[in-house]
Amino acid sequence: MKFFSKKNAKKTTRLFFATDLHGSERTFRKFINAGKFYEANVLVMGGDIQGKLLIPIIKEANGHYRATVQGRVERMATQEELAGLTARLDTLGFYYKVMDEDEFRTLSANPKAVDALFHEEARKKLSRWVDLAEERLNGTGIKCFVTGGNDDEWDVLSSLKREGTQSLVACENEMVYVDNDHTMISIGISTPTPWKTPRETTEEELGKMIEEMAAKVPDMNKAIFNFHDPPKDSTLDTCPMLDWTKDPPEQIVQGGQPVMHGAGSRSVREAIEKYKPMLGLHGHIHESQSVARIGRTVCINPGSEYGEGILRGCLVNFVDGEVVGYQMTSG
Amino acid sequence: MATATAKPEVFTRKASGLVRVMSPFSAFVYNILTMGLIFPWTYLWAPGALPGGKLVWGILLAMVIEIPIALVYVWLSTALPRSGGDYVFQSRVFGGGVAFTVVMSGYVIWILQWVALSGWLLSYLGFAPLFLGLGATLGNTALSNLGVWFTGATGIIITSILNAFVAALILISGFKNYVRFQNVMIVGTLLAFFTMLVVLFTGNPASSAAHLDAFAKAIAGVDNFVQTARDASVAAGIDLNPPFSLIATLLVAPIAWTSLQWATYSAQQNGEIKNARSFNSQMFIIVGSLIFTGILLALLAAALEKAVGTEFLYIAGAGYWAGVSEATIAGFWLWPNIIAVALTASPLVVVLIGIGYILNSHQIVHNCYIGMTRVMVAMSLDRLLPEWVSRVDEKRHTPANAHWAYFIASIPVIFLYNLYPGWVGLTLGVTFACGYVFVVTCLAGALLPYRAKDVYEASPGAKYKLGGVPLVTILGIIGFILGAIMLLMFMFDPRLGLTSPLAYGIVFGVLAVSAVWYFIAKNMQKSRGINVEYAFKEIPPE
Repeated sequence: MKFFSKKNAKKTTRLFFATDLHGSERTFRKFINAGKFYEANVLVMGGDIQGKLLIPIIKEANGHYRATVQGRVERMATQEELAGLTARLDTLGFYYKVMDEDEFRTLSANPKAVDALFHEEARKKLSRWVDLAEERLNGTGIKCFVTGGNDDEWDVLSSLKREGTQSLVACENEMVYVDNDHTMISIGISTPTPWKTPRETTEEELGKMIEEMAAKVPDMNKAIFNFHDPPKDSTLDTCPMLDWTKDPPEQIVQGGQPVMHGAGSRSVREAIEKYKPMLGLHGHIHESQSVARIGRTVCINPGSEYGEGILRGCLVNFVDGEVVGYQMTSG
Repeated sequence: MATATAKPEVFTRKASGLVRVMSPFSAFVYNILTMGLIFPWTYLWAPGALPGGKLVWGILLAMVIEIPIALVYVWLSTALPRSGGDYVFQSRVFGGGVAFTVVMSGYVIWILQWVALSGWLLSYLGFAPLFLGLGATLGNTALSNLGVWFTGATGIIITSILNAFVAALILISGFKNYVRFQNVMIVGTLLAFFTMLVVLFTGNPASSAAHLDAFAKAIAGVDNFVQTARDASVAAGIDLNPPFSLIATLLVAPIAWTSLQWATYSAQQNGEIKNARSFNSQMFIIVGSLIFTGILLALLAAALEKAVGTEFLYIAGAGYWAGVSEATIAGFWLWPNIIAVALTASPLVVVLIGIGYILNSHQIVHNCYIGMTRVMVAMSLDRLLPEWVSRVDEKRHTPANAHWAYFIASIPVIFLYNLYPGWVGLTLGVTFACGYVFVVTCLAGALLPYRAKDVYEASPGAKYKLGGVPLVTILGIIGFILGAIMLLMFMFDPRLGLTSPLAYGIVFGVLAVSAVWYFIAKNMQKSRGINVEYAFKEIPPE
């Protein structure tokens, strides 16, 4: 560190980046604690924070409960067992609601009501997360920047924007300073996916959005591009090619094996090549944990394993527009 | 986004997600191929070194011993369905120092010897019998001479380097090319294995002796081979009718473990296996492949005994273990496939067996690369190996640097294995070294509910308990004890080849090098402001 200090008199900033938590309570709590644990000054959450599944916990006539989790029907006879289940559902990132048989049947017949319930539960959880972040980071000096991803609904993300927060910053579509020198721009929208998720747009539109955001950056040498969509063909975006005509999408198999491809964004790649920011933070493709250099830019996708309660992330040390070290973590 | 659908008692919304590419069946087949239906040592080493041992029972015993170990991997794989297998399991429970030292030494370094063994198998058990058999059945001396060339050090070294180079090229060109080739290798291997089984099961000692005599005459110009080999073995003090020995039978198990310990190898690719979190899938993949392969290997032993008789197995073993040159054909040891080739007069059968052995031998080096490059990439991302190791080729999506590094590192081992006196005696060192990786992982499984409580409780195996104790803890302790017994046999019984000063030096030297590597890497990264321990530590959620 002495050698390093001679070269750069300024203080190194340590940033912890994680993404794609998909509603997992346990991994979010770890994320909030990561600042103290890793001695990081800055926390960045890269999007896709909303859960995908809602488990009805059905109260039966005999007072017992049942729920279908990962394809298996589980039955609970006591409140302790029920608490055990809800703790596990939190880890898995599943929303849940206790209801009786009649309510379940009524809900099942009404997709709009199911959708409304999803939104309600997601907003509630996100609001709780904002409270938690404010409570735990208060007085620590750690800033926590959060953006949405393509899987997050606009109205759910509105829960992040709250007046008077001290530590948590909803940074989507904003240019923010992560320390005294370095800025970050954040875009959560992605190019189209086979799942037709809530926040997608064309390459051209995404390119325009990036240009508008980039115009706000004072110094690209000290800039971070926090774009949920990874750059195309960068090894941060490798995944199986899917058949978009099927619901749910199916793998395309040729010669008896899946076809792999880069599913990232061309616009994101072109922007990185054009502006040469210091750092690119990306997610979206859970299975493609990787670090790549595009020109001078260090691009990172830490991947995601939220379902196992594991917080994948990446610690990045930088100073004066230079990434001096990084490491993947699996907390 | 308003789309939401109701499935049976679950509500889902449209969202993107992780896609896994390998089917459970592919993983099942992958394990079978990794276990190596063609690994031959049990069939010659055991009769040679362990008179009175029962081959069939020893193989089945190895299978039974491996079952609790395999079950621990089922639990761990469903709890942590990530690529990296043992390295991930151990680092989660014991931290980076133990995981790196054990996996780097037992896997990454020792498996370099499997690259050499793969080349040896390809040359000695693939090309050599093919050309020797064709030479004998077609009466072509040039083919026979070519077959003999493949049994010499020069032939084996050249074949081994080319074998490793071709596999690296195939894998670097894209994993899809390997998967296509794997289908060919599966068919070829199974066809060869079952052909060999049929040939051996339909044979009997009397007719086999005549066939072996004719084969030896055609290959080496030797008259009355079987009787000559028998006389020489007896003269060398070999007991051709030893009484049953329980100890010898037990000691067959560590040798058979050379194959069967690999039932868990798919765990290295858990991140790519569909339904990897499913208990049923992992049971099928790991335990299913173990039992399937164990039974096939025991069947091969039974077929071999039926074809040539127990007495001849001791003669063949004497050629291998006691160095009785008359019990070899042109210096060539009598492995099951060479015996099967000798028993048939059909060039087609010779070609089927030869090609199957060639394909399975070549497949082994692919497995070495696939598993180890994943581990190396994981270690590099944890900053314990250089950054360039984890760089992935943008077009082909393969960790090309890791492949080339592993290929280059294997070349000196290939030379050592084939030229350095006494190194062949370390053949089972790989079994021992990988064995200690599996044993430490068993301990990790036993401690998982206590050292990684959150991970364990979120896993599907958490509900299985016996007397209030997590079942994985009980299985982990059993697996640890059984595996440790095997390791102790290797360390203290000279008949398993690892009790020489050379063996001890290399085993502990490799461990020490790995530990020192971790220490140096950790301190180098510390000077850059990186604490490598962060890569393994779990953040408390509360």
